[in-house]
Amino acid sequence: MSILQVEKLNKSFGSKSVLSNLDMNVPEHSVFGFVGQNGAGKTTTMRIILGLLKADSGSVSVLGKKVNYGETKTNQDIGYLPDVPEFYSYMKAAEYLNLCGEVSGMNKHDAIKKGNDLLELVGLSKENRRIKTFSRGMKQRLGIAQALLNDPKLLLCDEPTSALDPIGRKQILDILHAVKSRTTVVFSTHILSDVEKVCDHLAILHNGNLVLQGKLANIMRKYSVDGYYVEFENSHDMDTFCLEEEIKIHKLEVMKDLNTIKVFMNNFEEEKHLLLHLLSQKKITPLKFEKIEPSLENLFEEVVK
Amino acid sequence: MIHYFAFLKKELLESIRTYKFIILLVVFAMFGIMSPLTAKLIPALFKTFIPYAESVLIPEPRALDSWAQFFKNVSQMGLIVFILMYSSVVSGELAKKTLVNMLTKGLSRKAVILSKFTNMVIIWFLSILSSSFITWGYTVYLFPNDKVSYLVFSIFCLWLFGVFLLSLLVFASTLTTQSYISLIILVGSIVISMLLNIIPSIQKYNPLTLSTKNLELLQDFVNPSYFKFIIPITLTFIIIFLISSILIFRKKEIR
Repeated sequence: MSILQVEKLNKSFGSKSVLSNLDMNVPEHSVFGFVGQNGAGKTTTMRIILGLLKADSGSVSVLGKKVNYGETKTNQDIGYLPDVPEFYSYMKAAEYLNLCGEVSGMNKHDAIKKGNDLLELVGLSKENRRIKTFSRGMKQRLGIAQALLNDPKLLLCDEPTSALDPIGRKQILDILHAVKSRTTVVFSTHILSDVEKVCDHLAILHNGNLVLQGKLANIMRKYSVDGYYVEFENSHDMDTFCLEEEIKIHKLEVMKDLNTIKVFMNNFEEEKHLLLHLLSQKKITPLKFEKIEPSLENLFEEVVK
Repeated sequence: MIHYFAFLKKELLESIRTYKFIILLVVFAMFGIMSPLTAKLIPALFKTFIPYAESVLIPEPRALDSWAQFFKNVSQMGLIVFILMYSSVVSGELAKKTLVNMLTKGLSRKAVILSKFTNMVIIWFLSILSSSFITWGYTVYLFPNDKVSYLVFSIFCLWLFGVFLLSLLVFASTLTTQSYISLIILVGSIVISMLLNIIPSIQKYNPLTLSTKNLELLQDFVNPSYFKFIIPITLTFIIIFLISSILIFRKKEIR
């Protein structure tokens, strides 16, 4: 069952079309990677889902309820973490979560308890300073805490890791990993390795359109290629090797600067032995001989080409 | 109502922790101290520094002079300081994007407008109250035998005029994205009111009169019945500005 359904969504800012006939379905209990280049329309899509922006046409439903622009009813089932969450800097983290709890309609006791639990989860329970003294990573973690406060059925995270250092990124990904059993997560990003780490579903947004959507494992299988990277000690070795008739029959991709070639194969099991044999015959010792693993980066390049 | 009170609490906390409240309280307390003192000292200073002043008949200062200073200070400098402090009351939050988390938590947009307005009205009330109380105490001390008429009503009129301007400020700040444009709208509206007030027959219906007839009230030249149209008209304007702000804010895209 889809927790979020987006149908024929269109949005322009002035003459610039940002979304064009966007269709998207997010299955319940999934971690949905929403991938696209900067400016692809990820944030705009999320803001329309939240009723903060008005779509030119199309519809959005959350748990079967239609999202109406300017209204906040469907947001009671959603938690939202903006790319750069902004807080009332004069408040302390616990005070901020209490305010969020009150606004969400929780009673004071529950808001305090839930707030403390979440501060524990995101590692801010001992912080008694005002938010203005927080680092970016701490603000991002507080952002996750506020997004999870109302036990959302759908958590929208807009590029939560893009501005963080590696440690901050890992902390955020660990938190998302921890909450994925209780809530559906839509995770927009342009950092593909993050998607590989936490997501089980993937959608790629390009020029305001979804160009790919489905289970990550199925997509990776479908788009995987068989072949090897061969890195040579020098360009002479590489050129010599590439001129061989047995090599010419393969599809090759030459990366001259790196003295590396990508050899694509149709019959992987047989041809890999031939490749090794040929190297040995020519007395060329490669620096690297590595199987091409399916990577999201390759896939992304492929589909947005 | 839950949203309204929760957000009002946040607004009050913001006014305290960002020092707006304390700055306004100090400024208005200063007016409270300065008004009677200025009234008392100006004739003496005049005599000291202007040699031929001895030959000029300078009237003895009275309580009325003290209140004249009060109404002048509060209705001009006081309101200017207050409005500058809150000039970006709505547009500032939109620019800083701090409302995004709140709105996505289900906070109603009506509650945002009403709680921001209420916060300003409360602080405006406390500011004018502190200033009037100090002026009153000091005036009674310096001019014990002087009496003035309709003092509380006269101060109420000035407070109501302030509330009217604050509702206009909320409206202007919702309409625009820059605080200076809100100020231009506000100043433009006051200038139009001043021009309209040149026509005597309009004065009885113009909210601006709430801040110009205060001394006449104290001297009993006009009585509260003079304001029987102005007060309902001002209240109607306040309601119109607030409803318009809510309607505009509901349709405002939050990027």
